[in-house]
Amino acid sequence: MTTQSPASRETSVEGAHTAYAEEALAIRPRNVSFDWSSVPFHYVPTDAYATHFWNVMHLVLPEGERAMADVLGRALDQIEDPRLKEELIGFIGQEETHASSHESFRHYLEAHGVDIPRVTGVMAQIMDKIFGEHDLTGRAADAWFKERLGLYAAAEHFTAVVGEWLIDNAEFDRVGVDPTMLDLLRWHGAEEMEHRNVAFDVYQYVDGGYARRVRTAIVASAGLLTLWLWASRFLYVNDPRIERPRRPMPLAFIRSARRGLIPGIGFVLREIPPYVRRDFHPSKMGPIDKAVRYLANSPAARDAA
Amino acid sequence: MTTPRGASLAASRTVAAAAATTPSRTLRTLGRAAHQYPRVVTSDRWAAKVDRSDPQRRDGYDLSLVIAAKEIVAGDVAVFTFAAPTGGVLPAWSPGAHVDVLLPRPDGSTLMRQYSLNGDPADRTHWRIAVRRIDPAAGGGGGSVAMHALEVGDRVTLRGPRNAFNFVSGTAYRFVAGGIGITPILPMVRAAAAAGADWTLVYAGRSRSSMPFVDELVALDSARVTIHTDDEEGQPDTAALLQDLGDDTAVYLCGPSPMIDAARALIPPRVPDASLRGVSLHTERFSPPPVVGGRPFSVTLARTGATVEVAADESALAAIQRVLPDVRYSCKQGFCGSCEVGVLKGSIEHRGSSMRAVDGADSMLVCVSRAEGDALVVDL
Repeated sequence: MTTQSPASRETSVEGAHTAYAEEALAIRPRNVSFDWSSVPFHYVPTDAYATHFWNVMHLVLPEGERAMADVLGRALDQIEDPRLKEELIGFIGQEETHASSHESFRHYLEAHGVDIPRVTGVMAQIMDKIFGEHDLTGRAADAWFKERLGLYAAAEHFTAVVGEWLIDNAEFDRVGVDPTMLDLLRWHGAEEMEHRNVAFDVYQYVDGGYARRVRTAIVASAGLLTLWLWASRFLYVNDPRIERPRRPMPLAFIRSARRGLIPGIGFVLREIPPYVRRDFHPSKMGPIDKAVRYLANSPAARDAA
Repeated sequence: MTTPRGASLAASRTVAAAAATTPSRTLRTLGRAAHQYPRVVTSDRWAAKVDRSDPQRRDGYDLSLVIAAKEIVAGDVAVFTFAAPTGGVLPAWSPGAHVDVLLPRPDGSTLMRQYSLNGDPADRTHWRIAVRRIDPAAGGGGGSVAMHALEVGDRVTLRGPRNAFNFVSGTAYRFVAGGIGITPILPMVRAAAAAGADWTLVYAGRSRSSMPFVDELVALDSARVTIHTDDEEGQPDTAALLQDLGDDTAVYLCGPSPMIDAARALIPPRVPDASLRGVSLHTERFSPPPVVGGRPFSVTLARTGATVEVAADESALAAIQRVLPDVRYSCKQGFCGSCEVGVLKGSIEHRGSSMRAVDGADSMLVCVSRAEGDALVVDL
């Protein structure tokens, strides 16, 4: 058997295989469930905009996560590495349970008069018209497949760093975010940390092109930011429960970010650049002890099969 | 809330309608750019000038190792030490990790069993596992008997290591092990002792002579180790094993299911705050066995016309994998929904808890659901 240090991975040439030097983390979906019946509409108390900022997760992530699980699942028959394959199989199940858990809150929002189809409709359009199949064939279809793997790998970097932010954020505890919703956000964040390497490694396995990695990181970050700001603004300005006069939009965002109830633009500017370093690998982002500790307590996840 | 609700609702509807019909110029520009994006990056010119594939691939998850030592301890526990045939360095692991041992069976299939690594993680050239022999007559599945037949010098394929029982750094630990459940706990105890943490271990078993590694553990710090034996003290009460936990103790427990269930009831889950302090309960996550059972039926894959027979004791997924090894699945328990496929013909006996496993649906979760009749045609 070959024994190479993890550092040698970065200098490997095309087609070269380097041996895994460290243990794998078992990635498996958990059979979680959430009871939304006692959750207040503004579950981030004293900050309606922050509530809507996190509501965007329930409205846009399910379609995106399912599309991602679908595209990455198509890489299964190209992957001969049994470790990456089992990680990808676990990843798909985790993404599917994230999608259905966020989706389960839509019924609640709908019952409270939120115009869900407006947001989910836009999301469906985006996934179909921009990130859909486009009836491409041959080399172009292959390039588009790899492009989407790159976009999802970049989006997963985003969710992993936001996931860590969600677990770390003491302001949620201080203002008293509803515990069931907080558990959804932090459980999701913990699993994003758990599987943070998978989409990246699948991209590296299938394509690994550096130009494409940089480009897809920019496109995915800009796209996610635009979508998030648009959707959260839409929910915020259409919320009849907010006392008038309402704080105008950019100020509402800035206030929530200053209060530490949402990640601000500075967070994005800080966390995205490491991803486009040539020698980036998600495993370099530090231990995942936080995720392990969180999951060892989470009411939704701890005892779930 | 002081605003008249109806008025503001009406106003917000108008705003929403306006937003829906006249997106801002920025959004329109972004939309146009987004539509061009797939076209540009899949064009031949772009492919020739910009994108270079540079696949990064890894191997070494499956390792062919040789048995360097075998010792029988505590009556019926075989302790195996594995090494690379050339004596090379093995992948690093941390306490709680396990390996899959893959044993070829006479019929050509492979028997797979998972065992915790229980040696010293700092020893990078040897791995150690312990296997308690369970006779098929006593409910064993034959894996441990096959393992016990292995001898020094035999070559065995191992897959891993993989960790589903992560050991977090902390200041206080309570370790609880029942029987052979000591194997993942042993390296944790050593790590906690080496780190100078405040730890205690309760190790329960039938009788002292049937419990492996007792001397090794007591030697670490006899004052911190409690040995509980059924023959002297009766069945252990889990509540007693979990007494006097400090404020910030990580409980690591590995033992039979009733012990795990009791511990879960005694230490209820709670949403941890950002400090992540407080008592936490860590148990190993096993891949649960797939849910099977029922009458045999056949599944025809519409896209290839291939038909597979699903035996009474296997899932449709297992049968489909024989002809389509890369079919999508994940939990094998019917909750995640990853394996959902459209059903073109035949009626479905829905099983599983996923929102998608509903009556009247024209799709099924192949990991758990079955045919109501004798045959199904699926969109695969």
